Amino acid sequence: MKRALPVLVLSVAGLIPVWRYEPSTGTASTTVAVSTPPASGSASTSAAGSEVLTGTTVRTEKGDVQVQVTYDGDKITAVRMLKQPNHPQTTAAVPKLIAETLTAQSADIDTVSGATLTSDGYKESLQAAIDAKGA
Amino acid sequence: MQRVEHVMGFPVSLRIDDPVAAEETGDAVFAWLRAVDARFSPFKADSEVSRHGRGELSADELSADLVHVLDICERYRAATGGAFDVRLPGRGLDPCAVVKGWSVQRAAELLTSAGLRRFCLNAGGDVVVSGGPWRVGVRHPAFADRLCAVLDLTDAAVATSARYERGDHIIDGRTGRPVTGVDSLTVVARTLTEADTVATAAFALGAEGVDWAAAQEGCEVFAVLPGGRVLRSAGFPTADAAAA
Repeated sequence: MKRALPVLVLSVAGLIPVWRYEPSTGTASTTVAVSTPPASGSASTSAAGSEVLTGTTVRTEKGDVQVQVTYDGDKITAVRMLKQPNHPQTTAAVPKLIAETLTAQSADIDTVSGATLTSDGYKESLQAAIDAKGA
Repeated sequence: MQRVEHVMGFPVSLRIDDPVAAEETGDAVFAWLRAVDARFSPFKADSEVSRHGRGELSADELSADLVHVLDICERYRAATGGAFDVRLPGRGLDPCAVVKGWSVQRAAELLTSAGLRRFCLNAGGDVVVSGGPWRVGVRHPAFADRLCAVLDLTDAAVATSARYERGDHIIDGRTGRPVTGVDSLTVVARTLTEADTVATAAFALGAEGVDWAAAQEGCEVFAVLPGGRVLRSAGFPTADAAAA
């Protein structure tokens, strides 16, 4: 959590310019006008030709997510997170690794995985002993 | 049935516990691996790989198998930002790292399609097991006769990359220099094609390759770093964890 907080703060800081961004076509007022979105997806078109689309609320295991996108023609001019989980999605793609100390074991095993064994190295290897026992 | 033959410069141990069709299917496995060696060895001047490497065979003259292997090479080169590269400057085309995993996985599929259910195939340290339980040891990087982990597997593939057998043979394609950040890196996956390629590519990435390997879908990783530190993914199927 200690490491996640600065990342969350930075992510939010990075979003502020996006939220504050006002397209030059003057559609900012339209965006603000739909700041209380309905529960289902909706669209409203402003006089300037820009369109504000409000997505449906999507339930995720971290919480509800709802996004509002402002289009000017085919171009996205603003994206707002109307609802977002109070949970930082920072390192989901990288599983946490467990740190341990190296041990040297002996055990009854069926086979050995190791760096590519040369045919010369094989003679002295554990795998050769296993093969000899099974033959 | 238990047999050992030397193919591609390393020992291949095959154990089949099914009572039927073991010898014939074993023959087919070793015949396939010898054929792969003839076609894909960069150490044989007349192999398809050598001829392609010298430019005598263009990309559209290649066999479907070699196209498949080179596609895998390219996918992992891109995924590692060039750390894993089978076309290093000043060297011929050398896709051995992928050819080994892919061809041994295909050999295991020969056994499965022949109806065999319980076997263990070990190609110079790369392992495919079927119909467990199988106990697979991971060689200790410092002691040839000791293990640093024991796995409990049912149907799975295990590959290890390290420097203790053949020295600094894995090159980081980004620097052109041998990799030194990891002592040994083991990957468990569904197929040996994935396990072997991910282990080699992660090793080429150095210390950052441990996280990278753990993030690959369906891969569990066990890495020994210099100084005797071990990093492993939570799902790495050690025998102790399975018993607990």
